Amino acid sequence: MRAQFKDTVTELAKTDSRIVMVFGDISVYLFRDFWQQWPERFFNAGICENTLVSMAAGLASQGFYPFVHTITPFLTDRSYEQIKLDLCYNEFGANLLSCGASFDYAWDGATHHCYTELAMLRRLPGMEVMQPGSKHEMDVLLRSQYANGKPSYYRIAHDEHGEAFTPEFGKGIIVRDAGAAVTVVTAGPILGNVLKACADLSVNIIYYHTLKPFDYDVLTKFRDTRMLVVHDAFGLHEAVMELPDLRVRYFGLPDQFNCFYGTLDDIRSDLGLDPAGIRQAVVKRIEEVQQSAVSPTVS
Amino acid sequence: MTPAARQIRENIIRVSQHSGHGHIPTCFSIIEMLLAVYGEMRHDPARPDWPDRDIFILSKGHASLGHYTTLAQLGYFPIDEVYSFGAHHSKFGCHADRLKVPGIEASTGSLGHGIGLGVGMALAFKLDQSPRRVFVIVGDGEANEGSVWEAIMVATHQQLSNLTILYDNNGSQSRCMPIPNPAERLAAFGCDVHEVPGHDEEAIRCALRAPANSVRAVVCHTEKGHGCKTLTDDMFAWHRRSPKQEEAARMLEELHASAV
Repeated sequence: MRAQFKDTVTELAKTDSRIVMVFGDISVYLFRDFWQQWPERFFNAGICENTLVSMAAGLASQGFYPFVHTITPFLTDRSYEQIKLDLCYNEFGANLLSCGASFDYAWDGATHHCYTELAMLRRLPGMEVMQPGSKHEMDVLLRSQYANGKPSYYRIAHDEHGEAFTPEFGKGIIVRDAGAAVTVVTAGPILGNVLKACADLSVNIIYYHTLKPFDYDVLTKFRDTRMLVVHDAFGLHEAVMELPDLRVRYFGLPDQFNCFYGTLDDIRSDLGLDPAGIRQAVVKRIEEVQQSAVSPTVS
Repeated sequence: MTPAARQIRENIIRVSQHSGHGHIPTCFSIIEMLLAVYGEMRHDPARPDWPDRDIFILSKGHASLGHYTTLAQLGYFPIDEVYSFGAHHSKFGCHADRLKVPGIEASTGSLGHGIGLGVGMALAFKLDQSPRRVFVIVGDGEANEGSVWEAIMVATHQQLSNLTILYDNNGSQSRCMPIPNPAERLAAFGCDVHEVPGHDEEAIRCALRAPANSVRAVVCHTEKGHGCKTLTDDMFAWHRRSPKQEEAARMLEELHASAV
């Protein structure tokens, strides 16, 4: 997906001279052709995330389209105030593209994990928040949003969900409408595990690549079902819960640091976010709904 | 003190007394710096969005009242409007909102953001091969923030000779973490440094006009509350305090006495 970011931006830059890169010394080798072709528009500015965001705001104020790129926690956690004030409050648009979340740098430990940024950035007025689940979604969303003058966040993932959707910014996707009593709601690449988990289960499945603005029309269609949000981050559950009177459970991350290493799959497996673990959670939700016929207090 | 500088300080006292808001001493330390910047930069009060204008950012945003009264003095808006300072529906917040006030280029308030913003603007002007310049006032207290120095490193690395940092060395951190040698530090970070008496408008203007090969830093040695003995004698007590009527009258008298 990171290569797709490079391909898309490189192609856009051929015809749009207002595109500039503001990098925190990451993906620089990947972008070597861009740098060679347009050295004046490629700023590998330094390992200084606060300034990356502020200078992007300054560039945006003068009509440029900056693409700020570095590792997720350093871009979003460390520079949250710059995103909040220099971009959102000042209404200077810029594109923020992070890599490494939630556990793509699993082996690097808790300092490099990041799973709160989607939830945090959703709270900032004017911010657009996207979690593409495939290269194609990254390509479509980037082209659609990069020059709209708003602060836009794109989370770049290592893995993909493997589905071929026709994505549209701000729109949720009904992956499966089985007329079932339970609806699984998910976002980003983890959809791949959700689909494996639910292959033979009778559930509806809704998928989001855009967490803000959030498509409540799609959600509303299933509002009479019991929902299970499956997400390897925070942010989607909170978005879903903003629609009142839903019956929702969250299956995702615990309130603790993940102090293990290994691979993304290792961490997901620890958390029960592998296909087997998700299946268990979905089955439990289905059973809860069946029990609710006997005991109506189950929500 | 020039008549304009005295008039602006009078307005600050009156607006603060009327509104109950304002950081007067920190406003008083930068009036000559503001007049020097607006004296040198290309701007047009009748066309705040003139595309060829230079940019000024007040990074120490709590001195907004000093900025508003200076903009009023220059004709951006009538001073009468500024009397609503800090009121519920006023355009003039205690930290400025660029979307509300003509002449404000960046909404500031949280310290340590202005230089980074200025770096981006100066880079944009370089990319556009434009002669436009960027001026940023930072406070010495603000320079406790790491983001100030981070942004200066990026600015000098990018050789932004169209960026000028005016460093208000008003001693605000004497009880906390003073920076005793700002000129040395700025030079060590790669700036072309000038040191001037910060209440000498012409000296500041000379420094702003001098040729620069790198980021220009003008260290202005100033005094919190400059022009009012009441304020300079007890600058911490007056950090964020508005005068009562009789106190304001005394300050105005002191201001006139110091201006003679």
